[in-house]
Amino acid sequence: MKVPVSWLREYVDFDLPIEELARRLVFTSCEVDRVVRRGAPGGDNYEYFVVGKVLEADKHPNADKLQLTKIDVGSGEPRSIVCGAWNFGAGATVAVVLPGGVMPGGEFTIEKRKLRGEVSEGMILSERELELGQDHGGIMVLSDDLTPGTPLADVLPLGDDILEIETLYNRPDLTSIYGIAREVAALLETDLRAMPGKEPVRAGDEPVTITVEDLERCPRYIGRLFRDVQLGESPAWLKARLMGAGMRPISNVVDITNYVMLALGSPLHAFDYDKLAGNRIVVRRARPGEKLETLDGTMRELDPEDLVIADAEKPIAIGGVMGGGNTEVSDDTKNVLLEAANFEPLTVLRSGERHRMRTESQTRWEKGVDAEVAGPAATYASQLLVELAGARWTGEREVRGEIPAPPVIAFRPGYTNDVLGLEVPEDEQRDRLGRLGFGVDPDWTVHTPTWRRRDVPRDIDVVEEVARFRLEHVPATLPVRQEMFGRLTHEQRLRRQVEDVLVGAGLYEAYTYSLQATDPDPNAIELPVPLSSQQRVLRTTLAIGLLGAAQHNIDMGNTDIALFEVAHVYLPPGPVPEERWRLGGIVEGDFFKAKGIVEAVFDALHIEPTFERAKLRKEFVVGATVQSGWVGTYGPLELDGLWSAFELDLAELFAEVPERILYRDVITYPPLRLDLAFVLDEGVPAGELMAAARKAAGEELRDVRFLSDYRGDPIPAGKKSVAIAVAFQSPERTLTDEDAGRLRGSIVQALAERFGAELRS
Amino acid sequence: MDSLAAVDWTAYQDEALAAIGSALSEAELDDARVKYLGRKSALAQALRGVRDRESGMLLNGVRSKLEEAVAAREAELARLAYELAAEAGVDVTIPGTPVTRGHLHLLTQIRREIEDIFLGMGYEVWDGNEVATVWENFDALTSDPGHPSRSQFDTFYIDQNTVLRTHTSPDQIRAMQTRKPPIYMVSPGRCYRRDTPDATHSPIFLQVECLAVDRGITLADLQGTVLKFFRALFGEEREVRMRTSFFPFTEPSVEFDVTCFICGGEGCATCKHSGWIEMGGAGWVDPDVFRNVGIDPDEYQGFAFGFGIERIAMLRHGLPDLRAFWENDLRVLGQF
Ligand SMILES: [Zn+2]
Repeated sequence: MKVPVSWLREYVDFDLPIEELARRLVFTSCEVDRVVRRGAPGGDNYEYFVVGKVLEADKHPNADKLQLTKIDVGSGEPRSIVCGAWNFGAGATVAVVLPGGVMPGGEFTIEKRKLRGEVSEGMILSERELELGQDHGGIMVLSDDLTPGTPLADVLPLGDDILEIETLYNRPDLTSIYGIAREVAALLETDLRAMPGKEPVRAGDEPVTITVEDLERCPRYIGRLFRDVQLGESPAWLKARLMGAGMRPISNVVDITNYVMLALGSPLHAFDYDKLAGNRIVVRRARPGEKLETLDGTMRELDPEDLVIADAEKPIAIGGVMGGGNTEVSDDTKNVLLEAANFEPLTVLRSGERHRMRTESQTRWEKGVDAEVAGPAATYASQLLVELAGARWTGEREVRGEIPAPPVIAFRPGYTNDVLGLEVPEDEQRDRLGRLGFGVDPDWTVHTPTWRRRDVPRDIDVVEEVARFRLEHVPATLPVRQEMFGRLTHEQRLRRQVEDVLVGAGLYEAYTYSLQATDPDPNAIELPVPLSSQQRVLRTTLAIGLLGAAQHNIDMGNTDIALFEVAHVYLPPGPVPEERWRLGGIVEGDFFKAKGIVEAVFDALHIEPTFERAKLRKEFVVGATVQSGWVGTYGPLELDGLWSAFELDLAELFAEVPERILYRDVITYPPLRLDLAFVLDEGVPAGELMAAARKAAGEELRDVRFLSDYRGDPIPAGKKSVAIAVAFQSPERTLTDEDAGRLRGSIVQALAERFGAELRS
Repeated sequence: MDSLAAVDWTAYQDEALAAIGSALSEAELDDARVKYLGRKSALAQALRGVRDRESGMLLNGVRSKLEEAVAAREAELARLAYELAAEAGVDVTIPGTPVTRGHLHLLTQIRREIEDIFLGMGYEVWDGNEVATVWENFDALTSDPGHPSRSQFDTFYIDQNTVLRTHTSPDQIRAMQTRKPPIYMVSPGRCYRRDTPDATHSPIFLQVECLAVDRGITLADLQGTVLKFFRALFGEEREVRMRTSFFPFTEPSVEFDVTCFICGGEGCATCKHSGWIEMGGAGWVDPDVFRNVGIDPDEYQGFAFGFGIERIAMLRHGLPDLRAFWENDLRVLGQF
C-alpha cells in the first residue's frame, strides 16, 4: 500500500524524519519497501512554482500549434511564455513554473530558452505535469480569485512523500491510512486523532429497499441514497492523494468511494440508483446461468457460489470484488446508492479465484475487514458526497446479521516476559495496548478492538502486540538444554560417504528436477494441474534427469562428463507415494566404466556386489542388475557417443552394509598366489565361474581376481579361456606347496563338475 | 714378516681414506677400492700372510674401516647423482600429473555446512518427505483456510488432501508427532511452489527448517541461536535483527536479517544499501501447533526458523541466477 505522508499527518503528528519512521515501522508493523517522492521536489524548489495571470495570449508568429503569452507572475516584468495548449486565453489564472524550477521526477529543470525564435521564460503547467491528474486536455486553469505571485504550494498539493508499505496477511487494519496512523501513534507513543467523517444533514426521508438473503456471507449492508449528485472532477487535493496512493482519479463520486476506502479500509461502491430495477438491492447467491459484465468490460458467467449484489431483476455486482457495467456511475448519473457493507473473506477469495480477478477492494475483504468500520465509512463518504458533489442525502437502510463480538481475553503480563526472554514493564504493556485500541481492565482482562477481532483472539496474540514493539531489545541467549546430543544417523553418514566416494572417483554432483515430462513407470504420480508439460510427473528414477543434465553439458561444449545425483524418487501408488533415496549416475563410456564406479561404491561400503545380466528398459543395450539397483549402457541416444548409467536404492544398499569390519591377519604368514586359466563354454559368465571358485576354495581364500577372457586360437570355437588369480592365506601357519596343490585341486574339481571347465596347463 | 713390518699401516689407512673420500665418481671410487682393498693391494697381501692374533686384529681393523668408508662414499655419490640430475632437468613450475577429481554440488556443500553447524549445537538432522498431507503442510500449522498460499495457484496439489510440501515446516509436525520433547532438529530438503522460473524463483527449491522444543524456550533463545548460526556461516562479526512478521504457525512471528557480509553493514548493492540482508522467517511456536500434535504448550515451548539454501549460496558466492543450480554445467559446478 502507498501512503502519502501528508495524509498520514492528518491523523497523527510526528516530528521524526520520514526515513526514521519507516525504519522503525519495519520492526514493529509492516515492511516498508521504500520512501518515494511524488510530484515536484520540495523545499526551495517550491519558490519557482507560482500563480500567474495571463495578460496576453496570441498565436506564436512562427508556429501554428503554439501560443505566445505574457504572464503576470506577481513580481518584475510580465514573463513571455510559449505554450502548446489552447484551453485558455487572456484573463485566465494559471500555474507557472519559472526558470530554475525542477519538475516532478527531479530530472528536468526549467530553463529560459528560445522556442521557434521567441523567448520562453518558464512553463504553464498541466495537471499531468504536476502529477495531480491524468488530464491531457490542456493546462490547469485555476480559480480567478487567486493573486498572481501566490506560491503555488499554497493552492495545490505540489508534492508529497509516499511510504510504500507491504502489509502482513494478518493485518487487514493496516490497509488503511488511519490504521497506519494508529500504528504510528502506538509506536511513537503519541496521540491519534479521531476518525475522519462527520455525518451531513439528512435532506429527506426516502425509503431504501435492501434485502440480504445470505447474512453469513454478507453480515452487514448499509445503503444510502443521494439525490442531485453533481458528477464531475474531484478537487486537486483529492486527486493528488489518490494518485499518491496509486489509484487513478475517475470522477468525484467514484473517487470519494476510493478515497474513503484508502482512509478507513472499508471498500465502498456507488451504484447509479436510477438503473436499479425496482429501485432495490438484493444480496444473494448467483442463480445458475446468470451473467454479469463487470466494470472491466468482461462478461462473467456467475457461479451459484458467487455472492452477488442484485436489483429486482439481475446481478449488478460480484460482492466485494467488482461492480457491474449495468449500474455504473456515469456522466449522466443523477442519483447514487452508496454501498457500505461487510463481506466474508472466503466468499470474496473464492469469487476472485473463480473469475481470476484482483481488485483493491477484494484484497481488503479477503483479509477480513472490520464490520464496524462500515458505519464510519458511510458517514465519511456521505460528508464528501455532500461537500464535493453537491449531493443531498435523502435515505438510508441498514441490514445487520450476527457479527461475532470481539474477543475478551484473560491476560497475564508476565506471559510477555516468558515468551520474549525480556522484562517488559506492566505499565508499558498497558499503555501500548491502549494506544492500539485494546481495552485493558485493572485485572488484565483484555478487550480486543473490533478491527483486530480475527487476529487477536488469544493471550499469545496479545503478547505479540506488545512484543513487536520491543524486538530490537530482545537479548541473544541460547536454550538451557536438558539434554544435548546431535549427530548424523547411520544412513545420513553413509549417504555422505557415498557422495564423497563418487567425488573422489571424478564425478560431479548434479541437482535435477523431481518433476519431469514423462516417466518410464506408467503409474508414476501425475500432477493434476502442472506448471508446465515439462514438469508434470513425479519421477520414479533419476536416470531421465541425469540424461538431461548430460545433454546440457554436451550443448555447452563440455567434455569428460560424469555426473551423479542423490535424491528422492516417488513410487506409486499415490496420493502419498513411497519416497526413497536413490543414487543415480551417468558417464560417457562403456558398461565397464559405469560398473567400475558402482564397484567402488560397493567397495567403500564393504559390500560384495553380484552383477547379473538383465534386460533393462528398452533404451539400454547392455544391462545388469546388482544388489539394490542396476547398471546399463544406453543404445543410440540424442546424445552423441556411448553413455552408461546406474541407479541404486540407498536404503536397500545400506541394509547390506556390515555392522562392523573385523580384522583379518594378513601380516603374520605370507599369502600363496596362484594364477589359473580354464577353458569352458562361452556362455558361462565369468562372474559365475569366480563365484564358484570362491565357494570351492574354502576359508583360506583371501581374494579372487579376474585376469582375462580370451577367445580364438588355440581355443576351440564355442569355448573361451578365463584366467583368474587367487590368493590364499592362513592366520595360523605358512601355507605349503602341498596346501597349494590341495586348494587348486578343489577349485579345479568344482569348476569341472559345475561348468565342465578344464584347467589349461 | 718383512712386509708386515715394512708398511706403516696408519699412513696406509690415512692415504686410503683420503683417496676414497675424494673419489668423484663410481669409477674413481672403484679404483681406490681396488688399490687399497683389492686382491693385489698391500692390505690383502698382508692379510694373507697374517700369522699372529695381534697383526690380524690390526689389519682387519684397517680393512673394515676402509670398507665402511667405501660404502659411505658410494651412498654419497648416489645422492650427488640425483641432485645433479634434478638440478639440471626439472622445471618445478610445470603442472603436476593430473588427478581426476569430481565436485560436490554447491548446494550440497552448503547444506552440509549448515547441518554441521547445527550438529555442533546438538541438533539432529531430519530427513522429511516431500509429499505432505494438507493437514501436515497447512492445517496442523494453523494456516488459515483462506490463506492464499493454499490456493491451486500457489501450491501443487496431488489430490484434495495431498500436496508437494510448500515449505519444510511439515517436518516440524512429523518430528513432533514421532518424538517426545526435547526436540532439537534441522530439516533440509526440496520444496515446491508454483513460481514461474526466473533468476530468483524456481518451482523447486531447497529450504532448511530449524525447530527447538524444550522447557522455557524464549524468543531470546531464537535470537541467540540465529546469531550463532549466521556467525558460523558468515563470520564472527555478523549481527542479526528481528522484525515483526506473520506466519500461521508462530506467534510472535519475525523475519530475521543479518548484517551484510559483503560491505560489513556500510551499504552496497547486495544489501540494497541497507546494510542488512533478509535471511528468513522465524518465531515462537504457536501453542495451537503444539496442541495439534499432542504436546502440552504449558509444559513445552519452542522456536522455529526457516530459510533458503539457494539464497545463501547466491549471496555468498555471487551467483546471479538460481537456475544455474539446476543446469549442472560442469564449468559452474567445477568452480566450487
Ligand atoms: Zn552490503
